[in-house]
Amino acid sequence: MAALAPALNQVRNLWLISRFEILRLFASPRGWFALTAFVIIWYVLLRYPIFQASAGIQDPEIQRILGGMFGMAGMYNILNWPLPELSAYWVMCVVLLPICTLFFAADQTSSDRARGTLRYLMLRTSRDSVFFGRFLGQMLIQSILISLSIAATLAMAWWRLGSLSAGALEAAVIMVINLVIIIAPYTALMAMCSVLVKSSRMAISLAVVGSGIVLGLLGWAAWYLPVLQELMAFVPSAQIPQVLSQHGWSTLQFSGLPLAQTAVFLLIGRQIMQGKSL
Amino acid sequence: MSALIQATNLSKSFGSKLVLDNINFEVAAGEPIALIGPNGAGKTTLFSIMCGYLKPDTGDLKLLGQTPGSSALFGKVGALPQDALFDPNFSLLNQLSFYAQLQGMNKAQAHADAMRVLTLVDLADCAKQKATSLSHGMKKRLSIAQALLGEPELVLLDEPTAGLDPMNALQIRQLIAKMAEQATFVISSHNLFELEKLCGTILYLEHGKLVQQRTLTTKIHQGFLTLTLEQGDATQVLKELALVSGVHKVDSAQKNEYLIWFDADLAPDTDLAVLQMLRTHGWRYKSLQHGQSLEQQLFAVANG
Repeated sequence: MAALAPALNQVRNLWLISRFEILRLFASPRGWFALTAFVIIWYVLLRYPIFQASAGIQDPEIQRILGGMFGMAGMYNILNWPLPELSAYWVMCVVLLPICTLFFAADQTSSDRARGTLRYLMLRTSRDSVFFGRFLGQMLIQSILISLSIAATLAMAWWRLGSLSAGALEAAVIMVINLVIIIAPYTALMAMCSVLVKSSRMAISLAVVGSGIVLGLLGWAAWYLPVLQELMAFVPSAQIPQVLSQHGWSTLQFSGLPLAQTAVFLLIGRQIMQGKSL
Repeated sequence: MSALIQATNLSKSFGSKLVLDNINFEVAAGEPIALIGPNGAGKTTLFSIMCGYLKPDTGDLKLLGQTPGSSALFGKVGALPQDALFDPNFSLLNQLSFYAQLQGMNKAQAHADAMRVLTLVDLADCAKQKATSLSHGMKKRLSIAQALLGEPELVLLDEPTAGLDPMNALQIRQLIAKMAEQATFVISSHNLFELEKLCGTILYLEHGKLVQQRTLTTKIHQGFLTLTLEQGDATQVLKELALVSGVHKVDSAQKNEYLIWFDADLAPDTDLAVLQMLRTHGWRYKSLQHGQSLEQQLFAVANG
């Protein structure tokens, strides 16, 4: 039991650190600024692209054209979600959220390292609890924001229809779970990059440039050795076309790859964090 | 009794520069310990290793029998790291409470302890403010406050008075003196005057090597007087001091400061005799101190 106590303390600290990150969003000027930006961006997205796309999807002629286009790409199920608003929301989020995550989750430990605040934390808790606590905090924050955005999408549909079906609510839950899984490797990638540098801007640059170099090298190598093309199936978001081809709970069958990618990025990031001087 | 801090063959390099070179020392709990050395001597590197921020290349360091950074030391070792700042997004109370919770306290205990340490450093009125609104001296006191959260057995302070005005520096020295009964302090500083007043053990680093480790006891103060005059002809003063009964050597350390060696056993009242001689000649003195100053002790040995 005595040996277990420090481990339990570190789990408790991991939770305290992730909770403090949520507090940062809802109880600090920086958080309010981020929330205000979030509300404005989502107002614009809902008011224009999603509203207009969902109106278009309801037109049988446009539905026929889109069905043909998505069908050719193997994504005909996009139009099978219970609400056109959800279909538009789904496509937009699957494409945009990973990119947004690169920016949103960039500052997990970098500015604290530059400021020296990490030194105060390390006197009280392990590097693991800080690293994983910050990651968990970012995941919780993004889960809250994704839930809020889908709630706003449902509210828009309810305003149009006057009611919402149980199927629509179920679809919203499926989408939230899917989106959280989709952004997990990107959040873990930023956790790793954040350990390596001293500012969020540098973490974003590192992630973008690093990913570009890896993808470029992979493409170049695959040109000479086509078997390497198979590796492209393991890069982040490689599962997205398959996810879009499905509908309902079956979309979750492709979650293994992003979860494995998340684990790999976290393990690498954790190793760097352990050896990093503060 | 086990050592509070034990360093064995400790070395650390940054690139090709050897910053700590085979450091060995052992200190016990008790009076504050001073870590002294010129710029670049390796003090901050040694501090960073003690705090677990850096890992040594070779050798071993133990605090309270544990490796720095080990979970067994959380809450037992407090530290003031150099140049570390609080998060500008949260109030002082909020962050200190958070740190106290990380040390294992519940929310109510953490809040009470955060207020206790803020009161100790005279910042209770600023509890709801953010660190960005504080002056340099207040930020330093805040950093010391976080080091005192809970009941640390060992408190490491890296340059606690660097860049502070005399009033703030005095407040910090008074605080350390007050808290020294509850925890052992290790203080790194360039200010020999303040370390002399606070510390019982001296670790002197130079070029990454531990040049001296000594304990400031009454014994080493015996047989020395340090006299500081307001003014006076040095040649004449030296001549007259040498004639005082019991004095067997006099030296002028710097302008108007004289170091007097005397036989403490045979002439224990030499200080009174010196004062009598000063009165006879009408020379006014600023201070007469038993023992050598820390500076004189260190550099007398360091210079051979």
